[in-house]
Amino acid sequence: MSKLREKLESGKFVVTGEIGPPKGANIDVCLHDAEILRDYTTAINVTDLQSAVLRIGSLAVSSKLVERHLEPIYQLTCRDRNRLALQSDLLSAWALGIENVLCLTGDHPIMGDHTEAKPVYDFDSVQLLKAASTLNQGHDVSGHELDSSPGFFLGAVVTPGAEPLEPQIIKMKKKIEAGAKFFQTQAIYEPDKFESFIKQVERFNVPVIAGIVILKSAAMARFMNDNVAGITVPENIIGEMSETPKEDRKKKAVEITARIIRQVRPLCQGVHIMPLGWDELVPDIIKESEAQ
Amino acid sequence: MHATIQKPIDEIIGYLEPGEKVFIVGCDNCAAKCHSGGEPETEEMAERLKKKGVNVVGWCVPQPKGISLCKLSNTKKVLQEEYGEETKQADSFLILACGQGIHTVMDATDGEMVHPGCDTIFGGETVTDDFITEFCSLCGDCIVEDTGGLCPVTLCAKSLLNGPCGGAKDGKCEVDRTRDCGWQLIYDRLKALGKLDKMEKYVPPKNNSRWSRPRSLTMAGKEATFRSLAGDCTISRQD
Ligand code: SF4
Ligand code: SF4
Repeated sequence: MSKLREKLESGKFVVTGEIGPPKGANIDVCLHDAEILRDYTTAINVTDLQSAVLRIGSLAVSSKLVERHLEPIYQLTCRDRNRLALQSDLLSAWALGIENVLCLTGDHPIMGDHTEAKPVYDFDSVQLLKAASTLNQGHDVSGHELDSSPGFFLGAVVTPGAEPLEPQIIKMKKKIEAGAKFFQTQAIYEPDKFESFIKQVERFNVPVIAGIVILKSAAMARFMNDNVAGITVPENIIGEMSETPKEDRKKKAVEITARIIRQVRPLCQGVHIMPLGWDELVPDIIKESEAQ
Repeated sequence: MHATIQKPIDEIIGYLEPGEKVFIVGCDNCAAKCHSGGEPETEEMAERLKKKGVNVVGWCVPQPKGISLCKLSNTKKVLQEEYGEETKQADSFLILACGQGIHTVMDATDGEMVHPGCDTIFGGETVTDDFITEFCSLCGDCIVEDTGGLCPVTLCAKSLLNGPCGGAKDGKCEVDRTRDCGWQLIYDRLKALGKLDKMEKYVPPKNNSRWSRPRSLTMAGKEATFRSLAGDCTISRQD
């Protein structure tokens, strides 16, 4: 059984990590990143053509993790596949030993490097969750019986900092009804705002894993504040970063990230660390935050 | 209405063989509203092409006032009878209207050569005399009962049916920050109408076989039949 499921169902705090398949034919680097995360995470997300940029697929890399006895959270988006391909990829994933699936809408092709691609979106994320649940119950979405069924542990995402928040919460509830058993969130930098979100969704009784993006610089913080929905890096954190000399930035990043983790820890069931290339910092972050 | 925009003049000229005799046809309904193929634009196109050395043998925008070019019986009468002299000389027809109009002219001339003078861009609402925008994608399976009449298939860049993607910022779509997030509009409207509970309802995937092409509609007495790959769907107006 999925270790992620086991831990979340028994109420243990989890740490998940994330790797991005490379743009090219060699996956050694991302497998190396996964190795760094091995001792510090329960499961590792594998992104699906993140930002709509062409890369190796998440199914292949997730399968490679399974081979190495690492537990993937296979990310599957609706951007590039119709309902036949989505269900087929899900069944393939199960056959390859993949149990955790994170069901996503996916960034629009216009955000990536193939802007003239036809966006598919035959399903949205709620419909994808429902489809995966239907497969779990032994049927495809057209109602035809499968000769054997998978047993996916399904997850979804939510943006706690969205404004307005209400439509996000309405959709979160629909995702739960469609079969989501855990949520990973957009990056959290304001623990008090996160707390008020948690208060509103506690009643759903579904584990929430707080998204943690390692902040690399003040410029990155400002970029996210201006461009990424639902993320606000507070001025004091930006100040801390900009006052730090370049050579000490990584140390500072560990300190800030570990502090945020300690603050959100009592509020949720886990943290999802997105290192964005600074994977080597993850061990120190985990140790310093005592997340494990 | 079908929104259209003229193709660049050099592209149109590129379609024509040297010396080809062209008759230009506009449309007094949609293309007139789009300023792409009404009377002034069709006459103007004749002049612009002549200036560039094209052999234009005539032009017309079938009347009566406001009629659609895509009404075959009328277009046929106009092209074959009223403009019979000029159209007989033509090697080809340049259509300043939508793709339906192009085909109508093909039918109305018993299969003459046609050239597209416009790109057909969407079906829209004529909001003002100089602004047309899209609210429906003609999917054949309307779900706006649950969204307060606003179409998520069209207004959401990802055509999401069950709520926003989480990428909207200040009410603007993540795909294009200059445009409203369709789901923000739907949320605001349902909230204002006191019908936010509609948003909580699961919307199943669309039946895309009703969005197959080509589709047709046949009317007989009190019945209409919509034909698509979803099969024939007959609706009666009896009860
Ligand atoms: S749901 Fe389909 S028919 Fe209804 S407005 Fe949208 S595109 Fe048009
Ligand atoms: S921001 Fe709004 S309109 Fe744009 S893709 Fe997301 S939900 Fe759709």
